[in-house]
Amino acid sequence: MLFEYAVIGGILLGIFYALLAVGLNVVYGAQKIINLAHGDIIMLGGYGAWELYNTYHISPILSTIIVIPITVLFGYLLNRLIAPRLVKASDPEMLSLILFFGLSEVIQALASLVFGSAERSLPVSSIPTSRLVLFGQGYPATWWVSALVIIPLLAIFVIFLYRTSIGLQVRAVISDSVEAAVAGINSKRVSGIYFGIGFALAACAGVWGVFIFGGVSPTEGAAITITAFAIIVFGSLGNTLGTIAAGIIFGIFYQLAQVYIPSWSNLVPYALVIATMLIRPQGLFGRRQRIA
Amino acid sequence: MRKKTFPVIAASFGIALAACGSSSTSSSSSGSSGTSASNLPAAPAQITVGTTYSGSGSFATSSLPELAGLKFWIKTENAKGGVYVGGYKKRIPLKLIAYNDLSSATTAATLYNQLLTQDKVNIFVSDFGSVLTAPAVSLAQAHKVVLFDQTGTGIPFFTPQNKYIVLTDLPESSIWPNVLAKFLISKQIKNLAVLYGTNDFDASQATTLKSILSQNGINVAYYQGVPSSTTSYGTLLQTISASKPDAVLEFGYAANDTPFLQNVQSSGMHFKMVFTVFPGQLLSLFQQQVGTAGLAYTYTYGTNFYVNYPTVSEGLNSSQFKTQFAAAFPGQLNSLSLDGYNTGLVIQASLKNAKSLSQTDIRAGAAAASGHLNTLNGNFVINSEGAQTGELLPVAQLFPSSSGITLKAVYPASQATGSAVYPAPVG
Amino acid sequence: MPKLDDLDLTLETGSKGKKLISPAIAALVPIVAFAVGVHLYSNELLLTYMAIYIALAQGINIIYGFTGYLPFGYFGFFGVGAYASGLVMLDYNVPPVLAVIIGGVAGALVGAILLPLFRLRGAYFAIGTLAASEAIYTIISNPSLQSITNGPYGLNLAGFYSSGTAYGTAIALAALSILATSFVRSSKFGLTLKAIRDDSYSASMAGVNVPRQRFYAWLIAAAIAGMAGSVFGWSTSVFYPQAVFDPALSVLAIVFALFGGVGTIWGPTIGTVVLYAIYNAIGVSNPQYFQLIYGMVIVLLVLFAPRGLAGFWNYITTKITTVRAKND
Repeated sequence: MLFEYAVIGGILLGIFYALLAVGLNVVYGAQKIINLAHGDIIMLGGYGAWELYNTYHISPILSTIIVIPITVLFGYLLNRLIAPRLVKASDPEMLSLILFFGLSEVIQALASLVFGSAERSLPVSSIPTSRLVLFGQGYPATWWVSALVIIPLLAIFVIFLYRTSIGLQVRAVISDSVEAAVAGINSKRVSGIYFGIGFALAACAGVWGVFIFGGVSPTEGAAITITAFAIIVFGSLGNTLGTIAAGIIFGIFYQLAQVYIPSWSNLVPYALVIATMLIRPQGLFGRRQRIA
Repeated sequence: MRKKTFPVIAASFGIALAACGSSSTSSSSSGSSGTSASNLPAAPAQITVGTTYSGSGSFATSSLPELAGLKFWIKTENAKGGVYVGGYKKRIPLKLIAYNDLSSATTAATLYNQLLTQDKVNIFVSDFGSVLTAPAVSLAQAHKVVLFDQTGTGIPFFTPQNKYIVLTDLPESSIWPNVLAKFLISKQIKNLAVLYGTNDFDASQATTLKSILSQNGINVAYYQGVPSSTTSYGTLLQTISASKPDAVLEFGYAANDTPFLQNVQSSGMHFKMVFTVFPGQLLSLFQQQVGTAGLAYTYTYGTNFYVNYPTVSEGLNSSQFKTQFAAAFPGQLNSLSLDGYNTGLVIQASLKNAKSLSQTDIRAGAAAASGHLNTLNGNFVINSEGAQTGELLPVAQLFPSSSGITLKAVYPASQATGSAVYPAPVG
Repeated sequence: MPKLDDLDLTLETGSKGKKLISPAIAALVPIVAFAVGVHLYSNELLLTYMAIYIALAQGINIIYGFTGYLPFGYFGFFGVGAYASGLVMLDYNVPPVLAVIIGGVAGALVGAILLPLFRLRGAYFAIGTLAASEAIYTIISNPSLQSITNGPYGLNLAGFYSSGTAYGTAIALAALSILATSFVRSSKFGLTLKAIRDDSYSASMAGVNVPRQRFYAWLIAAAIAGMAGSVFGWSTSVFYPQAVFDPALSVLAIVFALFGGVGTIWGPTIGTVVLYAIYNAIGVSNPQYFQLIYGMVIVLLVLFAPRGLAGFWNYITTKITTVRAKND
C-alpha cells in the first residue's frame, strides 16, 4: 500500500521534476551553455507567481502562462548579449559555467534586495484544494494540480519542437549550426529564441516550485540547479524526451526512498547520476557517439 | 628536475617553519587573570563590541533581527552614558563593529579573526545559529577572548577545556525537549512519531526526547531522520499515519517546518497532536506561510517572547521592551530580536560583576551572574562549560483567534498562559 | 640553505623555447610574502585560507589547466581530507602535520575510486564529480555513521589548535602545490598532458599512455585538495560537515584559477591573491551590495578577459614585442 502510494505520488511529483529539469536541457542544447543560474530563474518564476497572486489576485495556474513571454524575451536578450563573446573562447562550455555562476550570484543578490531574505509562500487555497483519491488513497492537491497544468505545457513544447517549422530549425541548429546556416537558417536568432524558451520553462517550474517546495526564497537556486543537472544527465544531455522520462523516474525513486530509507533519500539524485555514468554514460536515452 | 626540486622544498619548509615560530608568539594575546583593583589599568574611553551578521543568504531572516536587538541594547546603554563596569565603578560608552558574513561559515571565520586580531574587540559576539558560531569557538579559545554565543546551541562547542564561551539566549540544543517530554508524559501519550532533520540541532533534540521517553516506557513507533533539505513530506506523512501515532513531532529548520505543516494540511490527515520547532520563534512568518487553518492547535516551543516577565533584575521587562524596540526598529520585533537584546543584558550583567575588563574577569562576571540574572528571557543559568541550562522553553499551543493565531504557553504550569487542547479538534 | 644562484632551475618549454621564470621563485615568492605578510597584517586565519585557496587553485590548474577536465565536485576531496585528518587526530592522537599528509592520501584514494568518471567528458565529467562529492557528503554526515564520523555533529579539533603551525603548514602546502604545477608543466609528463589537451588522438598515436598520465594528474590534484581540506579543518578546528563539503569551495577555486589563467604557474597564485583579497576587502568594508559586486566582477571577467590575467599579460607582452619589432 505504501509502495503504491510512493509510485503514484512519485509520478505526480516526477512530472513537476521533469519541467524543473527540461529548461536546463534546452539551454544546454542551444549552444552548449551550462546554465548554473537555472535554479535562480526558477526562483524568479516563484516570486513572479507570488507577486501576481498578492498584487493582482491572479491564480498561479494563469501565472504559469503569464511568465512565459517575459522570460522568453529576457532569455533572448541575454543570449544575444553573451553568446557572441562565449563562442570566441577556447572552451565555451566551461567558460559558460563560470559566467552563469556569476550571473547566479547577481540574480540572488538582486532578489534578496528586492524581495528580502525571508521565505514567501502562497496559500494552499490559491489553487483547487480537493485531494485526488486513487485506489482508496488521497494525494495532496498541490501534486495533482501541478501535474495537470504541467502535462499540457510539456506536450505543447514537445509538439513545438518536433512538429513545427521553427522546431525543425531549432533541431537543425542544435545538430549542426554550420549546416543550418548553409540552409539559410539564422542560427543566432533561432538559438536565442530557444535559449529564451529554456528560461521560460524554468520560470513555469518556479511557479509550481512555490507549492512543491513549500515556499520561495532568494537562496534556493543552487540546490535546485544540482537536482536539475542530475535529472538531465540521467536522461542524457540534450534529449528532451529523455529528460521528461528521467524526471518522472527520479520522482518515483525519491518517493520510494522516503518510504524505505528516509535518511538516505537525498542520495537519490546523486546515485542516479553516478549509476548512469558508470553503466550507461550516454544517459538513459542518449546515443553512444554523443559522448565519447 | 626532480633532484633540484627537493632542496627548494626543504628551503620552503624552513622558511615556513620560521614564519610559524614567529607568528605564533605574535598572535598570543594577554589574558592575565585576577587583576586586582589596586593595579587596575586606566579605564578605556570606549568598549568595543564585535560581531558578524548575515546580510543575505539562508540565515539572514534570523540574523538581522538578532543584530537589531543587540544594536538596541547598545543604543539604550549609550543613552545612559555607556555600560556600567563594576571594576571601574563607572559607565563606559559602547561601540559596535559588525561585519557581514553572508551566511557563510568560512567568511565568518576570517571576519571573527579580523575582530580578534585587527579590531581587538573587548566583547566578542557570534552570529546567529550553530553553523555560523562554530568557527568562532576555537578562535575565541585560542585568543583567550570570551565568546558570547547568542543562539549557537551546538553540543560540540561546550567542553571542559573551553573556558571562553558563554551561551546567552537559548538552552543547549540537547536539553530543549526536556519540558516537551514532561508534557507528553503528563498527557499520557503512548504512541509517538518523531521525524527529524539530520543536522546537529534537530538530531540532538530527537535523541534526547527519545531517550527520556523510552525511560518512561513510551513507545516511539516511528523514529526517522530525513535530510535537512527535505521539502516534500506527503509520502513521509503517509508512512507516519500508518503507525497510528497519538502525537507527531517534527524537528526541523524553519524551511522544513513550513512545508511539513502545509503538507499535513493538504494531505487531509488529522493527528491528535502535531509539534514543530519554529512557529514559536517566527510566528508572523509562519502565519503568512501556513495560514491560520494550518497552524490551528499545533504545538511548538513557546519562546520567552510570548511569556510575560514583569519583574526583571536587568534591563527592560517584556512589555517595555516590546514597546520601545518596536518604536526604534519598526518591523523587526520577534523572538530573535529579543534574543539579541538579551545577549546585551548578559554582557551587561557580566561587566557589572567584572573586576576589570580582562577576559578572565568578564568570564568570571558571567559565572557570577549565573542563577541570579532574571531578564525578559527568563532565568540565566550556565554550567561550568558555559552552556545554558536555564531559560528553558515552555511548550506552547497555537490557537485560532480573531486576529489570526495566538500563541499560548501551556506547559509547565508556572509559565502557562493557557491550557492545552488535546486531542486537537477535527477541522 | 642553498643559494638561489647555485640552482639552475630555469626551464625550457617544449613549445616556444622561451625561458620561463624559475619554479623555485614561483614557490619562494609566496612563501616569503606570507612569512612577512603575517607581521604586517595579523589576521592569520585569513592568510591561512588564502594559502589554502592557492593550493586549491593550483590543483584545479593541474587537472583542468593541463587536461581540460573540470572537476566541479573538487570540494569532495577537500571534505574527505578534513574528515580523514580530523578523525585520525581525534581517534589516534596523530600529530596534525602527519594528519595533513594522511588527509592528502585519503583524497588521492577517493580520487582513485572515482577514476571511472573519466569515461565522461566536458559537462558530464563536471557534473559527475559534483554528484560523487555530494554523495560522499551525504554519507559522512548521515546519523547512521555517527559512531565513525560523528554524523551531523561535526568535529571539534580545538585540542589540536595551533594557529602558527597551521599557518606554516598552509604556506608549505601552497608552495608544494606550485612546485607540483611547475613539475607537471615542464616535465615530459606535462608535455604529454598538453598533448592530451590539444589533441588526444595524435598523442595516443605517438605512443603516449593518455589515461595513465591523466590518472597521475588527477591523483596529484586530489591529494592537494585532501591536504588543503586537512589544513582548513585543523585551522578552523570546530566545523560541521557542510562547512568542508561546500560546493562554493570548488567554485571559488575554479574562478580564482581561471582569473589568473590556467595552464600557467603564476596565474592561479596571482588570481587567488588578487580575488580573495578583493573579496575580503569588500567584506570588511561591508557595502550593502557585496554579493552583487562580486557576481558582476565574475561576469565582466568572463566576458572581457576570458583568458584571465595571464592572457591579458600575454596580450600586453605580444603588443610590446610587435611594437618593438616594428621599431627595429
